[in-house]
Amino acid sequence: MILEGLSAVLQPMTIILVAIGTIVGIIFGSIPGLTATMAIVMFLPVTYSMTSSQGISMLMALYIGGISGGLISAILLNIPGTPSSVATCFDGNPLADKGEAGKALGTGVVFSFIGTVIGIALLVVLSPVLCDFALKFQAYEYCALAIFSLSMVIALTGRDMPKGLISAVIGTLLATVGLSPIDSKPRFTFGMFQLNNGFALVVLLIGLFAISEVMAYAEKVRHAQHYTVNKNVKIKGVGFTFKEFISQLPNAIVSALIGVGIGILPGIGGGVSCMISYTVSKNTSKHRELYGTGIMDGVVASETANNGTIGGAMIPLLALGIPGDAATAMLLGGLQIHNVAPGPLIYEKNGAVVYAIFFAMVIAAIFMMVFMLFGMRFFVSVLKIPKNYLLPVIVVLCAIGAIGNANSVFDTYSMVAFGLMSYLLIKSKIPTVPMILGFILGPTFEQNLRRVSQLASSDPFYHHSIFCVLIAATVVVVIFSVRANLKDAKKADLAEAEAMKKSQTADE
Amino acid sequence: MKNEKYRLDIIPGIVLALFAIGYLVMIPTIKEFTGMGATPLTNRFVPYLWGSVLLFLAAWLIVRGIRKRKKFLAEGGVIKKMSLVETLKERREVVFSFVALTVYVAVMTPLGFIIATVLYVFCQILILTPKENWKKNYLPAAITAVLTAGILFYVFRYLLNVLLPIGVLSIFGL
Repeated sequence: MILEGLSAVLQPMTIILVAIGTIVGIIFGSIPGLTATMAIVMFLPVTYSMTSSQGISMLMALYIGGISGGLISAILLNIPGTPSSVATCFDGNPLADKGEAGKALGTGVVFSFIGTVIGIALLVVLSPVLCDFALKFQAYEYCALAIFSLSMVIALTGRDMPKGLISAVIGTLLATVGLSPIDSKPRFTFGMFQLNNGFALVVLLIGLFAISEVMAYAEKVRHAQHYTVNKNVKIKGVGFTFKEFISQLPNAIVSALIGVGIGILPGIGGGVSCMISYTVSKNTSKHRELYGTGIMDGVVASETANNGTIGGAMIPLLALGIPGDAATAMLLGGLQIHNVAPGPLIYEKNGAVVYAIFFAMVIAAIFMMVFMLFGMRFFVSVLKIPKNYLLPVIVVLCAIGAIGNANSVFDTYSMVAFGLMSYLLIKSKIPTVPMILGFILGPTFEQNLRRVSQLASSDPFYHHSIFCVLIAATVVVVIFSVRANLKDAKKADLAEAEAMKKSQTADE
Repeated sequence: MKNEKYRLDIIPGIVLALFAIGYLVMIPTIKEFTGMGATPLTNRFVPYLWGSVLLFLAAWLIVRGIRKRKKFLAEGGVIKKMSLVETLKERREVVFSFVALTVYVAVMTPLGFIIATVLYVFCQILILTPKENWKKNYLPAAITAVLTAGILFYVFRYLLNVLLPIGVLSIFGL
């Protein structure tokens, strides 16, 4: 299987597709407002007629390129190209302002590569272990796993817990459309046969993440932001010395592990991992006062962590079918389109494809480093592409993606409806990422809950230790998260009241 | 509280509560399976569960919003009234984008992918361009629209086998 996977990736066509995917991913990552998720959305229809190894390899390359490309605009424009590069701005841009843009970019690129490789290594080691463990899962365990994963939403939503939960619940409600699990009775289909299979994940994601982005840009048409691009981007070698590289390795390893760890947790993406890693790096550093003034350490912490998240997020995706973030949710859609069913049996049923994914990730990481080190001037020039021309083309590609999903124009109506819903939710400060978790986990929860209801009399829950552990973990997560959220909310209210008092005094 | 943040709780709360009520009301129309092998929890149970949770959360938002509103008024805040028309006018590019997108998908089957895409891309580019720059963007927008439609149709229809609608152009034997 390993050799089969390797030979699939080493086909010239696959290598070309991975190269194209990496370049497009970097472009999408580097342009503020476009993300890795959008790049995957856009290229999904292109992969329809490819083999599963080719298609998924290309999607992986887009993912890796997309996450890595964000560092370019973070360093040169002080605007993160993707949420994953927020913390890269803190030290990357000041470093560029000091006239060391080459060093900042070189550091970001090399440590993005290291983060990706560490993430892939842990993915290769951990995903089969998790798959073996998950083979013991039956209805009870899957039901508890869905509850546990949904409970993570509470932990993630910060002070606005009800809004995060609302998003997740809307996702579960959308997942109830179509034939019900087990007994296949139509629900909420309003007599439309197109809804019998429910809404497609890909169509939901297109609406949530692509259409809403166009609308967000449309809002700013009359208040356009003008960027000043720092053009001093000559990278000498890799931009830093070997001594500097060695001195950064402990920071990089810790950051990569944080990235992988955060990636494994459902619903949290690179945006959180880079912030946590930056904070940890700063708090454990001997020269913490220098963070934010333009030092390598900050760029290393952020970029290694966000790329480490890629491998981490793939672990639950492949082993359990639970995506770590929006981009991996899109990849889940891609896997489904190519008839690859993620779950404990993935190695048995689609082993060659899984190994192809691993090899494609390594090749994409190498391509990413080479292209970004030697083609930086090109990627910087891409920052000037007018978005008013780019976004309509992306929407058309999204529409093709929706049509191609089931060769039906009907899905484009759903795409527009989800886009409108997403826009309104964002305007109401309701996050959209928990909705994906709800949409994916809702059917797992329902199917297994109903099976459990059938089994309960003959096979009581206390015979299932994993179930009990997961439920206990859920209770702990909920209690701690609710307490932390309430504390955060109180702190924020106090800060708000204080700010208001200050402004009132200033007015007087 | 300088701005009227409570609106972000009350309005979505009311809309979501109405949606949850509508959803819950529709559940009894779902046909239950009661034959051999039926599960004790029927296919209505989970919709009831999630519908009720959404209703509870929406009520939570409304109550929170009302409390924030009271606090806002107590702190001397003045409620600014903004009509729906004004709000939509303020976000006219978003409204036009949604209208363009809806029309695009609606006319795609009768007109076909190529014509619908040319019209949509052209209009959407102009919508996303400040009005004062329209004049110099007509030609580039038209070229982009035609090229986008033509290239994407050829690549996806003939190379990648995605069944894009041909519409009225079928008379030319496409």
